[in-house]
Amino acid sequence: MRKFHLTFLMAAALLLASLVPAQAGLRVDIYGPGQNIVNLALAAPLRGPNSEATGMGRNLQKLVEENLSFLPFMRLTDPKAILGGTVLGGCEPPALDFKRFQLAGSDIVVTMLWPGGDSGTTSVQIRAFETSSGGRLFGKEYGKVSPKDLPEVADRFCADLLEALTGNGAFFRSTLAFIKSNGKMNSNVWLCKPTGRDLRQITNIPGKSMSPAWSPDGRFVVFTHIDEKSHALGVWDSSSHKVQRIRFPGNVVIGPAFTPDNKVAVALSNGKYPVIYLLNHAFQKERVLEQSNAINVSPTFDSTGRKMAFTSSRMGGPQIFLKDLGSGSVTRVSQGGSYNTEANLSPDGTLVVYSRMTDYGHRIFVQDMMTGQERQVTFGPGSDEQPSFCGDSYFIAFASTRGGSRGIYLTTRHGGDAKKVPTGGGAVSFPRWGMPGGKK
Amino acid sequence: MKRFALVMALVMALAAGFGCAKKTGNEPGYDDGMTPEMRAAIQQITDARVYFAFDKFTIKPEYKEVLKNKAALMKQFPSIKVRIEGNCDERGTQEYNLALGERRARAAYEYLAGQGVNPSQMEMLSYGKENPAVQGSGESVWSKNRRDDFRVVAH
Repeated sequence: MRKFHLTFLMAAALLLASLVPAQAGLRVDIYGPGQNIVNLALAAPLRGPNSEATGMGRNLQKLVEENLSFLPFMRLTDPKAILGGTVLGGCEPPALDFKRFQLAGSDIVVTMLWPGGDSGTTSVQIRAFETSSGGRLFGKEYGKVSPKDLPEVADRFCADLLEALTGNGAFFRSTLAFIKSNGKMNSNVWLCKPTGRDLRQITNIPGKSMSPAWSPDGRFVVFTHIDEKSHALGVWDSSSHKVQRIRFPGNVVIGPAFTPDNKVAVALSNGKYPVIYLLNHAFQKERVLEQSNAINVSPTFDSTGRKMAFTSSRMGGPQIFLKDLGSGSVTRVSQGGSYNTEANLSPDGTLVVYSRMTDYGHRIFVQDMMTGQERQVTFGPGSDEQPSFCGDSYFIAFASTRGGSRGIYLTTRHGGDAKKVPTGGGAVSFPRWGMPGGKK
Repeated sequence: MKRFALVMALVMALAAGFGCAKKTGNEPGYDDGMTPEMRAAIQQITDARVYFAFDKFTIKPEYKEVLKNKAALMKQFPSIKVRIEGNCDERGTQEYNLALGERRARAAYEYLAGQGVNPSQMEMLSYGKENPAVQGSGESVWSKNRRDDFRVVAH
């Protein structure tokens, strides 16, 4: 009996050790200029040695494949290129044969083990290894998994893997709020994951909704709402699923955005020009953040709340400016072009992304706040607008007419091929990143 | 029983009355309580639009006469209340155009106020680029969408 206990404890300790997140050598620098491609192979999901999991196991693997296809720095190894196949004798060394994956050019191999079988409600152990050294990059057990939980498990695993590789897994933990049109003066707020999954409509009010923005705690989505009489601030509360329509003195409510402490900044006008106000937690005016004898709209903040970028016509046409909210100093950001709008600050405060009007439509540009260097990251066709940084300061979502009607696309701070987010039928716009339930 | 019949008759009469209330100004027999002069004034106020240059909100000289005419009619009929709706063409971006549309509505508002129109007779609304008068692209279309509409909301 004692021997059994000892053996059991040793086995449990070994399992735990194999699942503890590891700090292996392979890291992907997604922020530097020389971003490289990582080749990743998915081993066949197993119920046990050489026993493939063909139920939930196969479905989860498919979801993970779909998710990873959104990472521009990751290339999935074709299973047919792996000599000897992907069904393994085990999910970790020494039963895991790294050589076949090395030969196929894979840098990373991911294994999935369903020790209790892959039907009903069960658990899955997922591990990632560097094929060259055999070192473990990641390991975790996801418990209480049933078929309906598979998309969430895929997102959680991909977020964990992304975090292990790059230091930030925000992409798969985020939900996009966006606007879907239903006729000329009718549009509402919708949500979906950046992969297009979990698509749902959250408001259903007559009139035009625009410019949604998530609160950092993930509780609210605010937006501009225009009906046939007035502008208002729309507020959707995820805890009650109710929408409030809050009116302000004056004529406009434009481009609301949250500060890091869950307050709203929004352009309102009760004088000659729109003024950027900070509202308190009850959505009442607290103080002016920026005003001048010109249009000032579309505030955006970094994660410290000390920097605010905005659009202003103070120098003629609309340009992007940056305000240090501590000192009050304002500096012009956009230098090229005569029409730059829709700024969005990266959460780490290092980049500003904005759209510029060109002869061929709008294009998205990123400016490095340290060097002042500007880089065009989209090239149409059609018009590319409304860029928005993910919480990782790497991915950028934007709206584009490149496919005919307006759709939502993803690119990165480095540019590259844009990938369309599936959002169902209808023209969609104003993608804005958020994390329901707050930052995890 | 007699009382029930009376109530039913009243209900029928009321229902018939509500049916008639659906008539619009275009239907024969519609009485909006307006004199022909007021109707003509409303027509003139709403028909004549004010157009703007790209990314501009200054009133062009040729539209000052249009606004003066509107001002005279609004002063003549002080019960008329007008909503000035500012609009933009499709080229600019949506949030900035909401601000620009408001500036265009305000430009007309201030001009009319300067002509002596009571501010309580006016309200403003910006649609930005969301409510184009003409669909399509090209300057001939854009120039028709950079405009102020004048909608009579009370009289």
